[in-house]
This record gives sequence, C-alpha cells and structure tokens, in this order.
Amino acid sequence: MQINYFKLATAVGVCSALLASSAGADTLRMAYSAAPSTADPFKSSASPTASLNEHIYEALVSRTDQPLLATSYEWKDNTTLLFHLREGVTFHNGAAFTAQDVVYSACRMMYRVDGKKNMLTSAMSPLTDVKVIDDHTVAFTTLKAYPVLPEKLKSLSILSASQADFTAPLQYDNTGDCGITRYPTRAQFESGEMANGTGKYTLESFANTGDADLVRNPNHWSDGGNWDRVEIRSVKNSGARMAGLLAGDFNLVENPTMEDLESLKDNDAYSSTSTPSWRTIFLILDVGSEQAPGVTAADGSNPLADLRVRKALSLAVNREAIVERLMGGMATVASQFSPSYREGADPTMPDLTYDPEQAKALLAEAGYATGIKMELNVPNDRYINGTRVAQAIAQYFTRVGIEVSLKAEPWSVFKKGRKNRDFGVFMYGWGHPQGAAQMISYAFASRNKDLNLGVSNYSNYHNTDFDAAMEKWAVETDKQASHGYLQAAMQVAVDELPGIPLYYQHSIWAHDSNLTVVGRPDERTFADMVSPK
Amino acid sequence: MLIYIAKRMWQSLILAFIMSLIVFMGMFVVGDPVEMLADEDFTEQDKIDLAIELGLDKPLYEQYFTFAGNILQGDFGVSYVHNRPVLELIIERLPATLEIALLAMFIGLSIGIPMGIYSGIKSSSKPSRLISFLTTVGYSIPNFWQALLLILVFAVFLKWLPASGRGDTNPLFGIEWSLLSIDGLRHMALPAINLAIYKICMQTRLAKSGTQEVLYQEYMTFARAKGISKQRIIRRHLLRNILIPIVTITGLEVGGLIAFSTVTETVFAWPGIGKLLLDSIHMVDRPVVVAYLILITLMFVFINFVVDVLYAILDPRIRYQK
Repeated sequence: MQINYFKLATAVGVCSALLASSAGADTLRMAYSAAPSTADPFKSSASPTASLNEHIYEALVSRTDQPLLATSYEWKDNTTLLFHLREGVTFHNGAAFTAQDVVYSACRMMYRVDGKKNMLTSAMSPLTDVKVIDDHTVAFTTLKAYPVLPEKLKSLSILSASQADFTAPLQYDNTGDCGITRYPTRAQFESGEMANGTGKYTLESFANTGDADLVRNPNHWSDGGNWDRVEIRSVKNSGARMAGLLAGDFNLVENPTMEDLESLKDNDAYSSTSTPSWRTIFLILDVGSEQAPGVTAADGSNPLADLRVRKALSLAVNREAIVERLMGGMATVASQFSPSYREGADPTMPDLTYDPEQAKALLAEAGYATGIKMELNVPNDRYINGTRVAQAIAQYFTRVGIEVSLKAEPWSVFKKGRKNRDFGVFMYGWGHPQGAAQMISYAFASRNKDLNLGVSNYSNYHNTDFDAAMEKWAVETDKQASHGYLQAAMQVAVDELPGIPLYYQHSIWAHDSNLTVVGRPDERTFADMVSPK
Repeated sequence: MLIYIAKRMWQSLILAFIMSLIVFMGMFVVGDPVEMLADEDFTEQDKIDLAIELGLDKPLYEQYFTFAGNILQGDFGVSYVHNRPVLELIIERLPATLEIALLAMFIGLSIGIPMGIYSGIKSSSKPSRLISFLTTVGYSIPNFWQALLLILVFAVFLKWLPASGRGDTNPLFGIEWSLLSIDGLRHMALPAINLAIYKICMQTRLAKSGTQEVLYQEYMTFARAKGISKQRIIRRHLLRNILIPIVTITGLEVGGLIAFSTVTETVFAWPGIGKLLLDSIHMVDRPVVVAYLILITLMFVFINFVVDVLYAILDPRIRYQK
C-alpha cells in the first residue's frame, strides 16, 4: 500500500493546528470601553491606559495597598519615606530588580522626554531626593512633610535602568537628568518597544488603535498570571461591545448598559459582576459667589449661599430610588463625599435622609418657597446612566418648588464650561485613587498653594473649621491622626453641604459565566481579576 | 489641459485654506484640550505648563499661523493624545478604511448595476418590483441600525462571523491588509456589507433610471433595427450611456466612504480613520481633527478631478469640446 506522506503530514498539521486553537481556553479576551492611548506608563493616568500598563509594569505598592515590588514602607521622619524592596525579582529582559531601578524610574518620571512633561509628575514638586540606601532599600526625601507621597507613588511604574545609558551611579534631581546620557525616545516608549517591566504579563504587540496582546510572564515573583495569553481590544459603542461578548469575540466586557444586563439575566451562558468603586457621584453647588451662574432667585440673591436651601436640596433627593430604580441596585447610596468604605473615611456616618416635606418647609423658612430657577449641568457621556440620574434629580428639585432646566453636554464641552466657571450647579464624579480625603481636599478647601489644597474649589466654599482640619491633614504622616483630621473635615462638609453627595458608582463587567471575576474598586480592568471557574 | 489642471489645483488650495480656517476656529470653540488631558489633581501651574507645551498659551491667530506655517512645510503637527505625528497616525490607519471602502464600493457596483439594468429593461416584472421594494427598504433603514441587525443575526445568533475588530492581517507592499487573510476577510465581511447595502440600493436606482431613459432613445431603436445582438446593445450602447451619472456619484461616494465611515467603523470597532476622527473629536485632539479634515478636503478635490477626466474618456463630446 502506498502512503501519501504529503497528505498525511498535512492532516497531522491541520489536526495540531486545530488542537492549538482549542487551547484558547487559556486565552482571555477583554473589551475595554475606551482605548489605551499609549504603552508609555508615565504618559497618562486615564483608566484604559493605566489598566493596560498595569499588566506589564508594577509599582512599589498596589493601589489597594498590597505590597508589590516593596515588601513594606515606613516614614523614617516627617520628610523621609523608606521602601524595603522585594528580593529575587527580575524584569522581562532578565535584568535583576534593585534600588537603582527605583531611582531610574523616578528620574524618568521627572524627565521631559522630547521636552514634554509626564502627566504623572503633577504635584511631585515636594520630592527632593531619591537615594539608594542598599540594593534593596530606597529612601524618598521631600522638602516638607508630604503625607500623600505613598499614594502618589502608587502610579510610579518601575522601569529597568538597563534601558538607559549612564556611567556613574544615578544621582536623582528634579529635572530627571540624573547623570543619564541617553534615555529611550518617546516613540520607543509610546509604541511599547521599551515595554520592560516586572509585571505578570509581557507585551507582545501594541497598536495605535489601543489593541494589545500580552503573554504570561513565567518568571514573575508570585505564581500569578492566570492566563497564558491576554488580548485587549476596545469597543466604544456599548451595544457593539455586548454583541462582541454574545458573539464569542470576547470573554469579558467593561461597562455593559443596564438594559443589556436585564436581557443577560435570562441567559445562562453569561453573567455579570458588579463591584463598588471608589467613585462618588455628587452635585457641586456654587455657595460662595454673589451670583451663582445659572441660578437665580426672585430677590436677586444667590439662594445656594443659604444653608437651609442646600439642606432642602439634599432632603429633596430620594437616593434609594435612584439606586434601586435607575441603577438596578448597582450603586450604593452615599452618606458622604468619599465612599464610606474607602480607607480613612468614617463608615458609620449616618445616611442622608429623604424628606420632601421638610425640604419645602426649609425653603419656605429661607424665603425661597418659590422663585428659584436653576440650571443643572451634567456630562452626558461620562458616568453610568448620568443623564437619566440628572433627569431624576431635576424632577425631585421641581417637586419642592425649584424650577430646573437640565443641560446635558459631552464631556469635552462640559469640562470647558466647568473650567470657565459657567456652572452654578453641576453633577460630577471623583474616583478617590489617593484616599478618602482626595476629593474634599481639592474641591472644598480654600486655595492653599503650599499645601496643594483647594485646586478645584468650584463651590467657592470657605470654612475656617474645614480649612483648619485639612491643613493639619495635609502635613500629618501618622495614618490614624490623619484619618481623624479627614473625618473632622468630612463632618463639616456633610453638615454644610457645599455639594450634595448622591451615590457611589459600581464598576460592572459582563462575562462568560464560566469565569470568576473579583472586581477592583479603582475602575481598572486587569486580567488577573478574572479566573476560570 | 495643463491650464485646466493648474486652475483646479489653485482652486483646491484656496478650498483647503478656507477649510483649515473653519475647522481650526470650530475646534477652538468646542473644548479645552488641557482640561481633557489634565488629571483631576493637576494644579494651576501644571495646567499652565501643559498649555505652554501644547502652544495653547498663545493667541488664536498666532496658533493658526504657526499651524498653517507648519503644514506648508509638510508638518501636520503632533497628536495631543498619542504624542505621535498626525500624518503618521492617519497613514497607519488609512489601509483599514481603504480596504473596506473599496470592497463595499466593489460590492455595490457589481450587484447594483446589473440589478438596475435588469429592472430598467423589465420594469414591470415581478423580480423588478421586488428589487425596487428592497432598495427602498435598504435606503430607509439607518446605517447604524443595519449594522446592529447584521451583528445580531450573523454574529450573535448564527455565530458565523465576528462582530468587531480587524482580525489577522498579511503584508503587501509593507502595509498590513485584512483582505489577504481568511480571518481578516471574515472580520471584513460585516462592516463591508453594512457599507455596501446603501451603495447597492443607490447604484441600482441610478442604473435603473438611466436604463429607462436610454432605452427609448432613437439610437437604441436604430441599433435594434440594425439587428445587433441584445448582449452587444446592452454592453456597447446602453451601459456606456448610463455610466456618466454613475461615475460621478461613485466618485463622490468613494470619497464619502473613505472620509466618513465613522458610524460603521465605530459600531464594528474597525480601526480605520473614521474611528480615529471620532475618538479625536471626543478627546479634543485638535491637530488630528484639523489635519484629517484638510486632507479629506484635498482628497475630494482630487476625486472630482479624476471624475472629470473619466468623463472625457467615456463621452467623446466632452473630450472634443474646446
């Protein structure tokens, strides 16, 4: 019998190819709702870009305070922060990780590659020195007490010093020159050519469309890396994203709509995971201006300056109903401006009550039973169900006798209006990556350049008790004491209401039902939060 | 002819200039790039630094002159978001758009014209009435809705074709093409059909009305009387005479497909220039939007020029005109 070896070989080849493709069970395909813009870890802290880069790079400490490349850290004194580094860690290119790499990363962060500043260097001016103590200890020194430094350093991805040219040991300076004769170019970072971290995945390819393919790093210091291969795509249109999941193109998609989740309930092949995030959704009220833009009263005054009016606004909103009806239970009613479950916040803060009758009484007492006209500004493409929530709030306000007109605009237009201070009342969300005090320290404190307080005080709010507490918080390196100051300030803000807290947004993922998803509170989507069941 | 070309080029330069002015001013009004790029915890100083880096601290007219001056030197600027030269970004994305646009146009022409001629010749037959019903339906369903229906049927229910992305690509002339791989073709199918449906309908209608008009011309009767075969009459006398409006529309439509397939590209996550435009508008990435629209203006001017030349080839009367 004659055997056609060529045919046999082809058949074997085809079979093995089929087998190889069925091993796709170890591939995770995720669809982001927005595209990562670059593979440079220092260029942008926007969620999709940061999510991608977290697969490749690691920081010293994770966003949820888990030790990563540092096993522990401590304040040696008010201005010196010591990190003890993990031993036996190697970069993707095989170079060993030492304290030198931390200094290099800090230099690269401050360095203006092609004359352009890195987005993450914001508010890093207090940093004066980064020093190698020994191979696995590094010290960060600041000009003055700067307690948020550990939080800031959570976005310092650690790069390998082996990618730059320098002769003498690195000497940190805040221009990032550090005695380095050659950095990789911006393009090399942006295209992912220089993607060399210590993370659980190595970057196989990155396109300017934001598509990225990642492969498991077998040499990672933990036994992590749930997947042999991770493919990240991005689909902006929510309907198409969901269709991609149903068509089997993706195993997991970000931010499904409430309607899609309803229809998913009857389908056993798919399920969804909802995790409370650190993002609070609230209204900001211009309480300090003589005339709040878009807000008028019959007597020509700024009604928002009256505490009774602000209390009435808070009482008028039924947060439970918004969370249950509009958000399908996938949000948590807010009691304060940071999530009550964020570290440092007081979890026992009482709920804000709903009482439209009392709201009306307060408005009457303040002399504004009728006659308040208010423009409510809201971005229409930013927050989950944002426009519908704003419509609901407009109706609640109307019920207590306030004439509301709703103005929903795209994020880009909205942000310009906010910057120009065109808004007397607007809806906003804050993600609190740097702790529970982050939003109030920026939004309600009086402007204090030295302590970096009140940068975005669109409420024009000034309160001496609040400012005193925040000023102490801003220089306190002891955690317990700092939480005490924060909680005191938060109490003032909740009593005085320069804004109206609404709810804490949840992050939602829809995925194949044979996957277990342990969601993260910081709105990032990371392959290792997903594991096969 | 040379004078004609020179005149056309001069006109197109003026057009591009006006376009750049309108787009530049328009983008200036829309949003603030610094606000879009800045993190929530940026201080005023950080924002000022960023504005200086991007050249946004200068007055508008100065920004425009810098921008226009750079373009004259072939420099379209650097994307705020991607930090890469705009021209490079657009050129990288162009093949993806070109291939679905051309495939869609090819499908549109190769189905639309025969169908139109058929229903023009046999205008009262049943198939012809069905065709005219279908083209009306195809015309009236909005593009994005067709796209979602296609995804629902072919990707979600039947699971025959993937719903999004570009799939594998293979290189030709140093450029990656989905057309050259099976997986790529599977990914191309739905977006190309989505774009083609409207084109099929339009070509059918154009061909049909053209046919009906030409059919009763005296030269057609004469040709029939001469005893020329039906095939030859259609090919040589009918087709040629209905082609002029078709060529005009096809030229403009190819331009439209390349420039503004934004809806299809967004729904199918097809990484072409339409998606780039939309993402850039969202992010207030001014250099990309302005450069894109100027290039598109030039492209339309060029296409119109090509169409004019094709007229001359198709119609001797135009060719011999003084």
